[in-house]
Amino acid sequence: MLRVVFLVPLLPLAGFVTLLLSGRRLGNPLAGWLATLTVAASFVVTVVVFTGLFQLPATGRSYTQTWFTWISAGHLHVDMGLLVDPLSMTMAAFVTGVGALIHLYSIGYMEHDEDFPKFFLYMNLFVAAMLLLVLADNFLLLFLGWEGVGVCSYFLIGFWFERNSAASAAKKAMIFNRIGDSAFLVALFLIYERTGSLEYHTVFARLGAVGEPSLVAIGLLLFAGAVGKSAQIPLYPWLADAMEGPTPVSALIHAATMVTAGVYLMCRINPILYRAPDAAHVIAIVGAATALVGATIACAQNDIKKILAYSTISQLGYMFLAAGIGAYDAAIFLMLTHAFYKALLFLGAGSVIHAMNDDQDVKTMGGLARLMPITAVTFLIGWLSIGGVPVFSGFWSKGDVLLNGYAFSPALWVVGALTGVLTAYYLGRAYLLVFRGQQRWVEARVTGGTAGHGPRDPSWVMSLPLVVLGALSALGGLINLPIHPDLDFLDRWLTPVFESRLLQHHWGIGGVWTFALIDGGLAVLGVCLAIALWGHTSERPAAEPVFLRRAWYIDWAYDRFIARPSTEVAVETSSVVEAKGIDGAVNGVAWLVRATGRQLRKVQTGYVRNYGLGLAAGLVLILAYVLTRTS
Amino acid sequence: MTSAFPYLTTLILLPAGAAVVVALLPSAQRRAVQVVGIVASLAVLGIAAAATVAFTAGYGGYQFISSHQWIAAFGISWSLGMDGISLFLVLMTALLFPIALAASGDRAGDKSFVAWILVLEAGCLGGFLALDLLLFFVFFELTLVPVYFVIAGWGHERRGYAAGKFFLYTLGASAFLFVGILALAAIHASQTGVTTFDVRALADTHLSGTAGVLLFLAFTAAFAVKAPIFPFHTWSPDAYREAPAAGSLLLAGVMAKLGTYGIIRFDLALFPRAVVTLAPLLLTLGAIGIIYGAVVAAVERDLKRLVAYSSLAHLGFIVIGAFALTREALTGAVLQMVNHGLYTAALFILIAVLYRRLGTFSVREMRGLQRRVPVLAGVFTVVMLASIGVPGLNGFVGEFLILAGTFLTHRWWAVVATAGVVLAAVYLLWAYQQAFQGKPTVEPGAVRDLTWREGLVLAPLVILIVLLGIFPGPLLSRIGPSVTQVVTHVEVVAHQRPPQVGVPGVAVRQGAGVRQ
Amino acid sequence: MSLVATVPILSGLVASASFVTPQVNYVAILPELILIGGALALLISGQLVFAKVPTALYSAGSGAVAAAALVASLVLWHDVQARGPFTAIADSVAVDGFAVVFLVLVSCILILGSVIANDFLIREGTSGPEYHVLALLAGSGAMLMASANDLILIFVALEIMSIPLYVLTGMDLRRRESGEAAMKYFVLGAFSSAIFVYGIALVYGATGSVNLPQIAAYLSSNFVMSNGVLLAGLGLLLVGFGFKVSAVPFHMWTPDVYQGAPTPVTGFMIAIAKAGGFAALLRVFFSTFGTLRTDWQPMLWVIAIVTLLLGAIGGLVQRDVKRMLAYSSINHAGFILVGLAAATSQGISGSVYYVFVYAFLVLGSFAVITVVGGRGDLDHDLDAYRGLGRRQPALALAFTLLLLGQTGVPFTTGFLAKLYVISAAVRAHSYALAVVAMLSAAIAAAYYLRLVFLMYGVRLPVGTGNDEGALSLPVKGDPPEEPAPAGPAPGSVNLGPVRVPGPTAVAIFVTVAVTIVFGIWPAPLVDFVKAAGLLF
Repeated sequence: MLRVVFLVPLLPLAGFVTLLLSGRRLGNPLAGWLATLTVAASFVVTVVVFTGLFQLPATGRSYTQTWFTWISAGHLHVDMGLLVDPLSMTMAAFVTGVGALIHLYSIGYMEHDEDFPKFFLYMNLFVAAMLLLVLADNFLLLFLGWEGVGVCSYFLIGFWFERNSAASAAKKAMIFNRIGDSAFLVALFLIYERTGSLEYHTVFARLGAVGEPSLVAIGLLLFAGAVGKSAQIPLYPWLADAMEGPTPVSALIHAATMVTAGVYLMCRINPILYRAPDAAHVIAIVGAATALVGATIACAQNDIKKILAYSTISQLGYMFLAAGIGAYDAAIFLMLTHAFYKALLFLGAGSVIHAMNDDQDVKTMGGLARLMPITAVTFLIGWLSIGGVPVFSGFWSKGDVLLNGYAFSPALWVVGALTGVLTAYYLGRAYLLVFRGQQRWVEARVTGGTAGHGPRDPSWVMSLPLVVLGALSALGGLINLPIHPDLDFLDRWLTPVFESRLLQHHWGIGGVWTFALIDGGLAVLGVCLAIALWGHTSERPAAEPVFLRRAWYIDWAYDRFIARPSTEVAVETSSVVEAKGIDGAVNGVAWLVRATGRQLRKVQTGYVRNYGLGLAAGLVLILAYVLTRTS
Repeated sequence: MTSAFPYLTTLILLPAGAAVVVALLPSAQRRAVQVVGIVASLAVLGIAAAATVAFTAGYGGYQFISSHQWIAAFGISWSLGMDGISLFLVLMTALLFPIALAASGDRAGDKSFVAWILVLEAGCLGGFLALDLLLFFVFFELTLVPVYFVIAGWGHERRGYAAGKFFLYTLGASAFLFVGILALAAIHASQTGVTTFDVRALADTHLSGTAGVLLFLAFTAAFAVKAPIFPFHTWSPDAYREAPAAGSLLLAGVMAKLGTYGIIRFDLALFPRAVVTLAPLLLTLGAIGIIYGAVVAAVERDLKRLVAYSSLAHLGFIVIGAFALTREALTGAVLQMVNHGLYTAALFILIAVLYRRLGTFSVREMRGLQRRVPVLAGVFTVVMLASIGVPGLNGFVGEFLILAGTFLTHRWWAVVATAGVVLAAVYLLWAYQQAFQGKPTVEPGAVRDLTWREGLVLAPLVILIVLLGIFPGPLLSRIGPSVTQVVTHVEVVAHQRPPQVGVPGVAVRQGAGVRQ
Repeated sequence: MSLVATVPILSGLVASASFVTPQVNYVAILPELILIGGALALLISGQLVFAKVPTALYSAGSGAVAAAALVASLVLWHDVQARGPFTAIADSVAVDGFAVVFLVLVSCILILGSVIANDFLIREGTSGPEYHVLALLAGSGAMLMASANDLILIFVALEIMSIPLYVLTGMDLRRRESGEAAMKYFVLGAFSSAIFVYGIALVYGATGSVNLPQIAAYLSSNFVMSNGVLLAGLGLLLVGFGFKVSAVPFHMWTPDVYQGAPTPVTGFMIAIAKAGGFAALLRVFFSTFGTLRTDWQPMLWVIAIVTLLLGAIGGLVQRDVKRMLAYSSINHAGFILVGLAAATSQGISGSVYYVFVYAFLVLGSFAVITVVGGRGDLDHDLDAYRGLGRRQPALALAFTLLLLGQTGVPFTTGFLAKLYVISAAVRAHSYALAVVAMLSAAIAAAYYLRLVFLMYGVRLPVGTGNDEGALSLPVKGDPPEEPAPAGPAPGSVNLGPVRVPGPTAVAIFVTVAVTIVFGIWPAPLVDFVKAAGLLF
């Protein structure tokens, strides 16, 4: 039953190949359906494997499937192989599941696009790469998937390449990721040097012999890679720009799956982090900081997708916080629920944008609730869920993180809690500005577009995913209820992977409940705050300081202190060092030789007397030499 | 290990003979010229493929050896041999020449053009196969002439300058190689009384430290210019820029490898001590080349010059791999020579195709082409990603092996080189955005997308780029043994001990502790 | 010194008292005799026959004579192979492998020369046997220099070779430069000859003999207490030889003379003078004064280096092809000196081999230049070669191959020649000399390439800007090139195809064939020349 796991990544890949060869012929919407089917099928297979794994005894829940040797040189031996264990299967399940839903949604969302088949081509390739990433049984194959998703995100952000902004955003994303990836590579070299292998089991088995400094270095370098991929401080600016891509892309890649790869990596290397606590602490702190910064920025954005983007950054910070303090299960739990509600929110935003004829400014929306009930309700669920309002999934997952956070250090808890309030607040602001209040959009502008009618809920292909995700966001918490030891399925399911390395907290049920109450209270506080501030007005400059609207001036800083100086350096190098210095030297030699030749010509006067003189001079020189030799 | 069929001699004589045939054809017979050219180069490819099949994997020594006296008076012999290091270079060479001919369009009907290209093929193959130092030098020098004529005769605006610069720079550098070879042979003769240029015999020559270093420098000077290695590279942007498509393709794809191949085959074999002593120098030059090439490329507006500088960077990787003296790195270097040949060739072909359409190499004059020529753009993207070193494509495997191997012995050089990975993305993506993205300026239908013919020319390259990214196994398993021999030789001679340097996982065996 | 020297002088006087004529072995000098006889025959026939004799007939005659000489030389070759080297006519003539190789070479030069000259003379409408007579005489002189075993004889031979060359240089009465060149050549030649004679005198004074073996024997048996006179004499001899082979700083006449002389003469002159000059130079310095090599090696070392560099650099800035190749000949002289500077038998064979193959290269090259020069022998500016590759592919290809041969590209004899002398130098541990030599070759390649590029790279009509080829481009503020004296202004050159006479075509083909065939299959020529190693 586990053996079929190879189909999981191969099905979307097959879809990709088919679309590559005959995408144009399949056309719209067939190409879309094919792509969706492959991902859905892959989801089914995943479930099969999942159950197969579930039936094994908890201790034996690990299965490696080796395809063939990828690279083998010197002592380095890397296989193309898949690792089936609770962690990888959990990831695979939600990647394929959410992925399938978003594919379905895209069929509707992209229906008018001329490059419809190409879109699904990239999407399939992305899913395949993402699955390879989570299923890989060694670091190098993980890196293959890691880069693969990066490339696909490059394609998809720049999908509307005729917009310069989109093209630049794609490039920016790629480059920021490459920065992280170079650190990732160095980490791989270090791992290889220290342990002589890149295969998870071998590496982890040999950690005992590796000195802590090396482990800290490895941990931090891998984290640097994760920072790039998961848009943490300081490499987060690309994610906001990435919203140039089609909204389903933002939902799938820049909310649910790819950006969480960093968190997955941190959980995967938990044996390393366990032995390198310093590295882990750095991760936790950076995570917490990002969570807060992201949240603050989200409070002041007007582009609905940017709000969600910064919210994603903030939520990812949460996950790193959890991973950093060793609450890996909490991190994964949050990742799952976040995948549900963030995808939901993005898709909701997508249908709103669709309805508003590609306008994304929340200030020019309003009052859409009665026109688009399904969207509004699901978006509302998403809000409450991410806000952590009790019983919604976010409440449980975020609560889990905060609980562990406090157990680790109250400071982290404070930051987390504050972020929680802000989260509930800024999404509330978004919800209210979009769906409540009076209509601020101009009928003509909206209907003027290709869609000859006013705003309304999208077709079923787009609504169905909304509904499903809405349900998941609402009830997702059930998979891991901390209120009773028998109800935290996810924790027990993942335990074989993390074993004793998990952070242990010793609150009894009572403690848990107290935290639950406080969390709930804070969430409600955020909600009320939002309603109080934005329930009735859409203008409140005081609540949107420029500093936050400009995202803490991070882009300006990058441009001012890195982009421009390095450009100047490059220009100087090519125009001075290269042209004048090195090439100048080469041509200079040539010139020198010729110049000498020209001087020599002066001697060649053509007068016999001069020639005779030359002859005589030579004679004299020779005789002079002879004198030195005479004994 | 010798074989019944004289693969290697045939590999050299066939194109040479074909060149003569072409030269004898009347220039009016353009069709015949074209056919002879393509057929001959394809035949060479066939023989090379056959040799690859007949090649026994897992054996590190030379195979298909053929040895004949050439100039008894000077002790020069026609001795050829092939091992895992030269095998795939030969195969790549044999592959790139028919492609180059096919890619040069109607030029493939100019008889002198075809004749020179075939001469060049003979020269390059000879260089990769020669076991006799002087024979190698003969081929090494011989290649200059056809390239000179190809650039000077069929090049772009400043071809005279570019061709002359290339010829003289390389010729000047090889003066040192020439004297170095003769000196080494002289020393060997004075020790053994035998005058020979056979690299296998010369490897046993006892060299004093100074002599070794001087000879190493003399040899490396020529190789450094040919490759090119920073800072001896400035002929390459001009030559690559001004040469016709086939010329640039072969210059970067094949001839550059003569330099790096020379380093691996001769420097490492003949002067192990000097190599160990001077490795840091060469590693540094390589690392500088990686960063420098990328930086200059980042502001280069001319696609061909841009590729020239990116080649400088990529050859920097190969140099580092050669001098890291670990099996991983050296294997990677050899593999990367092939990879670089493949994707650079593809890039030059694509650039040539664009030039045919738009009459310019400058990205400034291109815009939004992706909308107008989607297939071309797609192929370009794949090749570009390969050259950036994205895993799954061939560029990555070589680069990773080189860096991982280098890290074992020269950590910080590897780290610096890794930065090049970022920079490569910067300039190539930038160029791609300039040329292919944004609002298209040309009318629909104004520029044709890839034609079938062009697609056919590119297909083998693209297929290999993808294939070698996922199944490099067959190559690695053949390169490996030979590389092991070389590294062991260096270790044993230089350190008088079995190889130790660059064994990973020391932490596991010797306990933790940072080793440089 | 006086004491050492006076004794043999006295004995010499005694000997002269009772004078005995030496018995003459005519076979030993048969080739020379054939040439001289042939020359006289041609001259006389030219005077006796009143009917106008077609030039071709004279050419055929001289060719036949040269061929006869070649046969005779080969006979001697066989003798030497059979009986080993021997001397004749009171030891004044040596018949050894060394000499015979040069006899053969000179014969070949004469044959090719007569063929090339024939077409030139016809084109220029010159009648009469003079050219051939002089050529044959010069040839006999060169042969005698090779086989002379006696300083006096060497001097005589030198003059026999030189005087006809002076006259040949001045043969073109229509061009002022021709006469001017002849005058320069003559005056300076006389100057150097005088120095040479004085050198002989000093050597005689120091060793009491002018016979090379005797000198050698004397030097090896006695230790010369005060060697000043001897070394001075050696130095003066070097000046004399240096002038003939145009080694720096005795080269200054070379560009003017080679440019001024009628083109076929230039080619012939370079080949013959190098052959004769180097033959004697090598023999005297290596075999006779071999024991003093520690003294003369440094001299030659320096001279070789400056000769190499000046020959390479000087040619870069020339617009006149003849002048350019004049400098290239200086560069080649440098290479040949490298072989001698090694002062090993390998080096000597190297030099001989170099002289041998260079003779063919230079004859072929100047044959092409003669053809391109056109009627009146005027078009020698670079512009005359623009697009030659398109206009006359065969001619251009031949010229290209010859130039590549001079560059020293593999699979040409030029490459092997360089290989030969450089490996000798390296064996003698003079690495610096070797490197300088190869670098000079690279520099010289610049102007060979420039010609090649003009023939192939330039697309007609003449492009602007960078068509000048390699090294002429990057130069900033390059002052205008010195106008080629006789060459018409660039552009006024007729770019129509020029006629290539059959015989010349054959001659060119032969030179190219020698260059390529023996470049790829070197064994025969190398082994033949190796024989030059066995000096008497």
